[in-house]
Amino acid sequence: MTQNTQKNRCFLELRNIHKRFGGVHALRGVDLSLEAGEVYHLLGENGCGKSTVIKIMAGAHPPSEGQIVLDGEVFNELTPIQSLDFGIETVYQDLSLIPNLSVMENVALGEQLVEGHGRLLRRIDRARMQETATKALSQVGLDVTSELMSTIVSELPLATRQLVAIARAIACEARLVIMDEPTTSLTRREVENLIDVVSRLRSQNVAVLFVTHKLEECYRIGGHAIVFRDGQCVAQGPIESYSRADLAELMTGRQISEKRYREGSPSEDTLMSLANFSMPGRFHNVGFNLRKGEVLGITGLSDSGRNELALAIAGIRPAASGTISINDKNIRIATASDSIDAGIAYVPEDRLSEGLFLSKSIYQNEVALILRKLAGFMGILDMKKGKEIAREISADMRLNTADIELPVSSLSGGNQQRVLIGRWLSINPEILVLHGPTVGVDVGSKDAIYQTIQKMAEDGMGLIIVSDDLPELLQNCDRILVMNAGEVVSDLNGASASEDDIYQAMLGSVQEGAA
Amino acid sequence: MSSAGTSNKPASGHVSASGQLQQRRGLGDLIAKKPELVTLGLLIAICIAVAIANPAFLQPSTLIDIGRASVVTGLFALGVFVILAAGGIDVSFTAIAALTMYSITLLAINHSPNMPIYVVFLIAVAGGIALGVLNGFLVYTLRVPSLIVTIGTQYLFRGGLLAFVGTTWIMELPGQMGTFGRISLLEFETANGATVSLPVYFLILPAAAILTWWIMRRTLMGRAIFSLGGSPDVTARLGYNVKIVHLFVFGYAGALAGLAGIVHVTANRLANPFDLVGTEIAVIAAVVLGGARITGGTGSVIGTMLGVLLVVVVDNVLVMVGIPSTWQRVFVGAFILLAAAFFVTRQRKFKPAK
Repeated sequence: MTQNTQKNRCFLELRNIHKRFGGVHALRGVDLSLEAGEVYHLLGENGCGKSTVIKIMAGAHPPSEGQIVLDGEVFNELTPIQSLDFGIETVYQDLSLIPNLSVMENVALGEQLVEGHGRLLRRIDRARMQETATKALSQVGLDVTSELMSTIVSELPLATRQLVAIARAIACEARLVIMDEPTTSLTRREVENLIDVVSRLRSQNVAVLFVTHKLEECYRIGGHAIVFRDGQCVAQGPIESYSRADLAELMTGRQISEKRYREGSPSEDTLMSLANFSMPGRFHNVGFNLRKGEVLGITGLSDSGRNELALAIAGIRPAASGTISINDKNIRIATASDSIDAGIAYVPEDRLSEGLFLSKSIYQNEVALILRKLAGFMGILDMKKGKEIAREISADMRLNTADIELPVSSLSGGNQQRVLIGRWLSINPEILVLHGPTVGVDVGSKDAIYQTIQKMAEDGMGLIIVSDDLPELLQNCDRILVMNAGEVVSDLNGASASEDDIYQAMLGSVQEGAA
Repeated sequence: MSSAGTSNKPASGHVSASGQLQQRRGLGDLIAKKPELVTLGLLIAICIAVAIANPAFLQPSTLIDIGRASVVTGLFALGVFVILAAGGIDVSFTAIAALTMYSITLLAINHSPNMPIYVVFLIAVAGGIALGVLNGFLVYTLRVPSLIVTIGTQYLFRGGLLAFVGTTWIMELPGQMGTFGRISLLEFETANGATVSLPVYFLILPAAAILTWWIMRRTLMGRAIFSLGGSPDVTARLGYNVKIVHLFVFGYAGALAGLAGIVHVTANRLANPFDLVGTEIAVIAAVVLGGARITGGTGSVIGTMLGVLLVVVVDNVLVMVGIPSTWQRVFVGAFILLAAAFFVTRQRKFKPAK
């Protein structure tokens, strides 16, 4: 390839791309051009067509109309292998790793596949595969051991999987690396590392296209912003020239302020109190009180024990020791239903695999927890009543559709999350534990979810938000507990703390611990 | 690397994925990674038990009996393993074998009685590939689960055989087909003076096993097959030609079935169109006992071969310890449940922490 002579020339161009899925017009005439060595941030709400545009570039979907120009060559559609052949590498949001193959194979097999133009009856060059994988994995900051290389991907923690997916994208001679929400499960340290990887790619004249909801990362990385709304590109330009408020307005088409949502204050009554909560190797001696009407944030690095603590409160992976009392009554939580019976609702982090029945209707999802209530004579369900309740939930959660018969899979991420939260509200819990409530959720949905959180707190519910989205915690919480190495190391006031305070607490004792 | 003002230690930029993995070591981990060890253990346990109950088990002729009895099941099982690894399932391979072996025998008798044996094998393999590729084509284009497709084609192939080709037994095999099964590789005399021989056709099984191992482990096709079994959508997205993989796995299983059919005929010196069909569940059981998950994406050639041995041993030697043959199924069934329960509990234990 004559890569160097094409410096600063347009590498990829989309001309008037349309995409229709059945009746849905997902992309409405997108024109876009990407140059080598530049960084782009593709911004927009969920459902605005970002993922579709990526999939068209990657050859996963053919466009319904329009053209794709690569190095001056015009295509009406691309196959995945053609796209890879041109050096377009994608880190998909779902990571798209092969769960049953090893880390090494996931990272480095693609290179040999693309070289043979997709021909499969070829011998694998294992030595080269090893070399390529080692290089790529160490570039993303993983500690390359032969054990890691031979580990089956499904056995890895999520954050490592995300790094492996990024390593795969940079393993080959990429010319455009597309990253769809690459930092959702990464810790700050790993994000810093990723930013290094991006600047290295840039210096090698590789174009990088980020798709993300985390604006602070975009500003930190710099480059061009491309804003999508309703399947169209509504703005394009250097990211520094837009303020956060500008971008939010461009994405949603309305004004959204970065205000603090929390206005009320909790009552004096203690609702839940945790003491000496421990699980060996995960968290120890965690104790805190949650008051009625309080919004409590819990954060920490992904290995700080915050996730396990949430799961223990929910009874999914119960704690080994410790006491928990609700309204001064000691309770035992050994299973998820103990927790539900005690009035604790838990909205999991991974709504797709742990929470929702995707192919089922909104209605069926929303009433899933109150079926017993709906059961009448001989266990026959009162569908009419159920639908009434589902309609109420949908309205309360401000879903963007009134049709409760639609499958949940047809909703955007933000609306799916609202269905899930709505389902839990149907059992009137006293305590609601939200685990990463806005992961992968767009600005508009975030706003709706935050307003719901505040309304519930005003009604006297106690809420716990487990999250690593610091602005989210600062905007919503009365108090923020910071965990580190399994312990609560800091108890900050949500109204007065800053992001930096939280970071210091999250990272601070990492160094003490290491020293 | 930039350290974002936190003055990290040099190594702290690296994620200790290996550190989290180290907690899961030991025997349990080994078994989770190599489920065929369970099969091997079970096999050894049975052999020891049988040898104690009846020392006559410990002689070369037993080994030869087992070897000879493994060939057809083993060839079928390799095909099933490849399809299972790709996330599919096939129940038509016995019908493919029956159709090809009977048609070729008829062809040889009527047109070319002196056809050399390698031509017979070539035609059988070609016929098996054609029928298998038809399976693959249907599975890919109709997007119907392969179980349904192959139930359909099993009926078609078998019905076609009985309706259009023939229903009578052929006792007199033509030329080399009749003699090939009798060529022996090794001969032993048993304690009671009879000669037991390991036939040359036995070699087909290890050869097919090595070829399958090579394809699955050493070629891109093999990795593509496992990928398809692990995640079909992702496999397509990563640029693998999913259609070719489908055609390949079913074609390959068809080729092995064609081969197995001819071995079956020459070994028994009889072409019976009613043979073979009905044994597919035992073959699938053998593959699953060898550690391949029915949901796809896993398994190994070694495990498959051990699973076949296990089933064949149970089939052939339980008689030696006075267990009636009707009980064999009870044993195989119990083993399958045992192994399945074992693998499932192991997988639950090793589910990664999120």
